[in-house]
Amino acid sequence: MWSRLTYTFRETGASLKRNITLTVAAILTSAVSLFLVGGTFLVQRGFDNLLSKWAGGVQMIVYVSPTATADQVANIKTALESSPTVVDVDKLVYLDYTQSLAEAKRLLAADPTTFRLLNEANLPTEFKVVPRAGQLNVLVELANGFSEVPKVQKVVLARDQVEQISKLRDFVQTVTVGLSILLLIGALILIWTTIRTAMFARRREIEVMKLVGATNWFIRIPFMLEGLIQGLVGALMSCGFLVFFNRLWTNGVVKLKGDNGFIALVVSNSFLNLVMLLVLLFGMLAGAIASGVAASRFLDV
Amino acid sequence: MIRLENVTKIYNSEVTALRDATFDVAKGEFVFLVGPSGSGKSTLLRMMNRQESPERGAVWVAGRNINDMPDSKVPHLRRNIGNIFQDYKLLLNKTVHENVAFALEVIGRPKHVIRQQVPAVLDLVGLTGKQDRFPHQLSGGEQQRVSIARAFVNRPLILLADEPTGNLDPGTGEGIMRLLDRINKTGTTVVMATHDQRIVNMMRKRVIQMDRGIIVRDQARGVYE
Repeated sequence: MWSRLTYTFRETGASLKRNITLTVAAILTSAVSLFLVGGTFLVQRGFDNLLSKWAGGVQMIVYVSPTATADQVANIKTALESSPTVVDVDKLVYLDYTQSLAEAKRLLAADPTTFRLLNEANLPTEFKVVPRAGQLNVLVELANGFSEVPKVQKVVLARDQVEQISKLRDFVQTVTVGLSILLLIGALILIWTTIRTAMFARRREIEVMKLVGATNWFIRIPFMLEGLIQGLVGALMSCGFLVFFNRLWTNGVVKLKGDNGFIALVVSNSFLNLVMLLVLLFGMLAGAIASGVAASRFLDV
Repeated sequence: MIRLENVTKIYNSEVTALRDATFDVAKGEFVFLVGPSGSGKSTLLRMMNRQESPERGAVWVAGRNINDMPDSKVPHLRRNIGNIFQDYKLLLNKTVHENVAFALEVIGRPKHVIRQQVPAVLDLVGLTGKQDRFPHQLSGGEQQRVSIARAFVNRPLILLADEPTGNLDPGTGEGIMRLLDRINKTGTTVVMATHDQRIVNMMRKRVIQMDRGIIVRDQARGVYE
């Protein structure tokens, strides 16, 4: 067992060194493509976060002054429910102080200073309004009326920002997913070529191994390990890029302070860690499998 | 030990390399396959360790039909068969010792077995003291001895030799033949393809003569003709 392990590692190391140019090319391509894969996840997450308060078809948010009494909140609710042909009453949701605070925490993840200043005296609660099908235009006309109701602080319509952001998200998604697929294919082809070159360089050795009765797995495993290492090193580099660019991004977003909600366009560290874990696993698996397949393909000596 | 039954091999569905080859090789026998180039000698050898499979007929080795054998069992079949080639097929970046040890290493033999068996087999083939040389530092005859040591180190039941003296001068070739004879006397079955007339006539072993894929003569204690 021990001699097999030393054999495997010795062969893998020798092969990586012998093939250094192709190895570096394969690693760099994996790094860039995996970075784009991870980046796609992060960007989507940022957009989802930004759009999350509009999730579920919400088209209008009625912010209620924190000074409103329970009766006044009930009045606003009655006002909203008074147009049941326009407002989908079943989907009408009221977020009380605790729920509004939770939402703010998510949206202000990049700006903990602002979040800490929030309290029961200054954080508005909110009604989320979903219109009935085809009634969006009527809802927009009604919006002004709702802002006249006592203790309504502000009425915000999704149409003003959501549609543009959604379009932007879809566009960014198409580009990043497309690019990462292309680059991933490139990385896999390079790993494949590296393994094929390595096997060609050692075809005599492989022929001898097969003739003296080495099993295919015994021959294949050093090559798979080589591919796995290429994938792993590429993935580690891409994780470095992800951490770096996410920090850069978060710092940039924090400067966009103000009422536009763009502060929500950030990603929590726990999500970043999850993405990096996925990228690492994916890099190793893809590298090992691609080279395993390449090795099998050329094992018929 | 080896049995061929009506073995026919066709390359690219037109070239018939072997036609209806049938013969038995008993345990411990020494057999020459003779005939001109392209007569099917190498194809026959390659059938015996399943580097090739026949279109028709069956090849039996040590009581098993090796054409019915699943691919996963082929490595174990080959551990019982040593191979020697005209061009030695040594690994040029490895020393004599490493070349022979390699054959044990890749079938997972433990280190202490390798340390014990490699010097013993190098002694048998007459290469003691040359274990640290590289192939390019050896003569052709010595390189072929390394290749024989590698083929024999695992004590196989069968030794398949494809023109082992083809690249050697007559004197060196005779030395190799004496070595193969000694190995044969330990009970190892030897099948050797050759068109070296002198050697066949010198050894007086069983001769199977091939011509264009057909066995035209099978003679005990034969000569080349």
